[in-house]
Amino acid sequence: MTEIKHHAYLFDATRCIDCRACMVACSVENNIDMDKTRIWVAGLGVTGEYPDLQRGTMVYHCMHCDHPDCMSACPVGAYTKAEDGPVTYNPDLCIGCRYCMNACPFGVPHFDYDKGIIEGAFIDKCTFCPQRIYNGQEPACVETCPTDALEYGDREELIAKAHARIAEHPTRYIDHVYGEFENGGTSYLILSHVPFSELGLPNLPETPVNEVSEKVMEMTIPFALGWGAVLTAVTTGVALYDKNKEKSAADKKAETTK
Amino acid sequence: MKLNLTVQPRFRLNFSPLVWILLTLMGIAFVVAMMRYVFGIGVISDLSYSYPWGFWISFDLFTGVAISSGGFLMAGTVYILRIKEFEPLLRPSVLTAFIGYVMVAIALLVDLGQPLRIWYMMIHWNGTSVLLEIGICVMLYLTVLAIEFAPVALEGFKLQKWAHLIHKFIMPFVILGVVLSTLHQSSLGSLLLIQPSKLHPLWWTPILPIMFFTSAISIGFAMIILESSLSSRYFQRGLETHLLAKLARAIPIVLVIYGLLKFSELAVAGDLGYLFTSGIMSILFWAEILIGVVTPIVWFSIKENRESANGLLTGAIIVLGGMILNRFNVSWFAVKHPDPMFYMPTFMSNVKYFPTLPEVAVSFGIFAAGILAFGLAAKYLPVFEDEHSAQAHAGD
Repeated sequence: MTEIKHHAYLFDATRCIDCRACMVACSVENNIDMDKTRIWVAGLGVTGEYPDLQRGTMVYHCMHCDHPDCMSACPVGAYTKAEDGPVTYNPDLCIGCRYCMNACPFGVPHFDYDKGIIEGAFIDKCTFCPQRIYNGQEPACVETCPTDALEYGDREELIAKAHARIAEHPTRYIDHVYGEFENGGTSYLILSHVPFSELGLPNLPETPVNEVSEKVMEMTIPFALGWGAVLTAVTTGVALYDKNKEKSAADKKAETTK
Repeated sequence: MKLNLTVQPRFRLNFSPLVWILLTLMGIAFVVAMMRYVFGIGVISDLSYSYPWGFWISFDLFTGVAISSGGFLMAGTVYILRIKEFEPLLRPSVLTAFIGYVMVAIALLVDLGQPLRIWYMMIHWNGTSVLLEIGICVMLYLTVLAIEFAPVALEGFKLQKWAHLIHKFIMPFVILGVVLSTLHQSSLGSLLLIQPSKLHPLWWTPILPIMFFTSAISIGFAMIILESSLSSRYFQRGLETHLLAKLARAIPIVLVIYGLLKFSELAVAGDLGYLFTSGIMSILFWAEILIGVVTPIVWFSIKENRESANGLLTGAIIVLGGMILNRFNVSWFAVKHPDPMFYMPTFMSNVKYFPTLPEVAVSFGIFAAGILAFGLAAKYLPVFEDEHSAQAHAGD
């Protein structure tokens, strides 16, 4: 395998047979309960009229965004985005506020609702299998996929591959690689034969979702300092004005009593 | 008007039926909270992967912080603008704010997955997070409110000298308090900025922080009217109608600005089409605008309503009703989480959210504790003008 600069997945919805082996592989590899799987495979049923029937399956997976909203939202910085792709979560910092779950447009982070404060309730999400990818192996879900619906590689190469596949079968695919630009680019790329909204994917702009909130946050400290200065000036101004008024009133009083 | 409190022996607890009800609510909330700490949030609430935030955030955080905005408004009016005639309203509103923020903090200790780590916000900073800003502001502002209220408590314990000392150095804290309030009242709106794909376009706008700040001002004024009216009824105390009438006069001005901002923003963003085409969302939007903005503008523009005790109370309740609906809309009703059919396996997660009874019980218990705390403080500390007027004026 060539050296990978930016780890990424490519999911091809036309190839997925809904076997859910990736869910099992993920749970085994990462030692998590089956009912807390980090991947969720959803068969979307058969659509269309005979003979033009279509079946769709979607593998929901952390998108490992280039501008992760979970990371932008987390107050204590429990998320990190690695230079080479993976978005990871650090339970040692997490306070359990669940703002990341709100922020993620894909609904990826999951929370331990069944744990008290003694066991500790944490967020769980895909880690991109660092124990595997940094040792030259594929992530568990990709390795186990029997139909190559999930593939792993360098992001640039996978995008090229996806476009090549669309060019090869222009009638089979929708001419778009979901994740190439969505939300500022993601590391989980999706090819589909049905509209992406039917796969349950949100229609996102090319600018990251967190752009506006990060811009507002940048203005916070300058605003606070400016507002504080204005208030201090007003306070002193009003105080001086009051003092003068009292003084002149006192003077007047003194004059009239003379 | 003279209070008859001096006739009664001090510090004798008087268990009226209201107090019993409040104590019961608190007891239930305590038991439910203990269950949550042992067995997890899922046991007592309907929160799920698709609905990580629910009633607690909408009621305890969004509503709780909003109704506590009277504190900084009055502190700013009396100390910074030196409009001394509002002084009788200062102490009750600072007390309301202080209790309100303590309630927010307690509620967050139930809602957070790791309540023991709440102080992590002080040392681990992620500068892009709006929640961090709110956390820090609330912690600091709670301290400021404690300092602003300390003179009252100290006077209550007959420590006039100390009260005087704090009073002398209060100005920097007042300014800090106003800055912190401006920041986090508006940032509660910014919390939703990260959800353009989830929050309905009738509410999502880049100026959400400005909208929140403007409405917080109207909520603060309404809350001062409400709390003065109710406490005057409960304690058979005189009502500062002439002062409340001035606040009631300010409310329509704030609300007109709010309405203009809201609709011009919708027009600029090209979202006016949603006003009538989004079904239940349009209805919620119009309910919020009609109850929280239009009706109060009309109501408080009528002089008789501003100058009668009943008119003031009714108007304040209308404003609060509409604006609290706004907070619920923004933080809950109008937030569309990823389609649960596709995203959320039914065995892992609820596909619909409706607050459970225990969940609501926690919030109500905390609210009951707040009312009780206010009552106790109002009874035993020189909160209302009647008792302390002479000392307060001597303190300036």
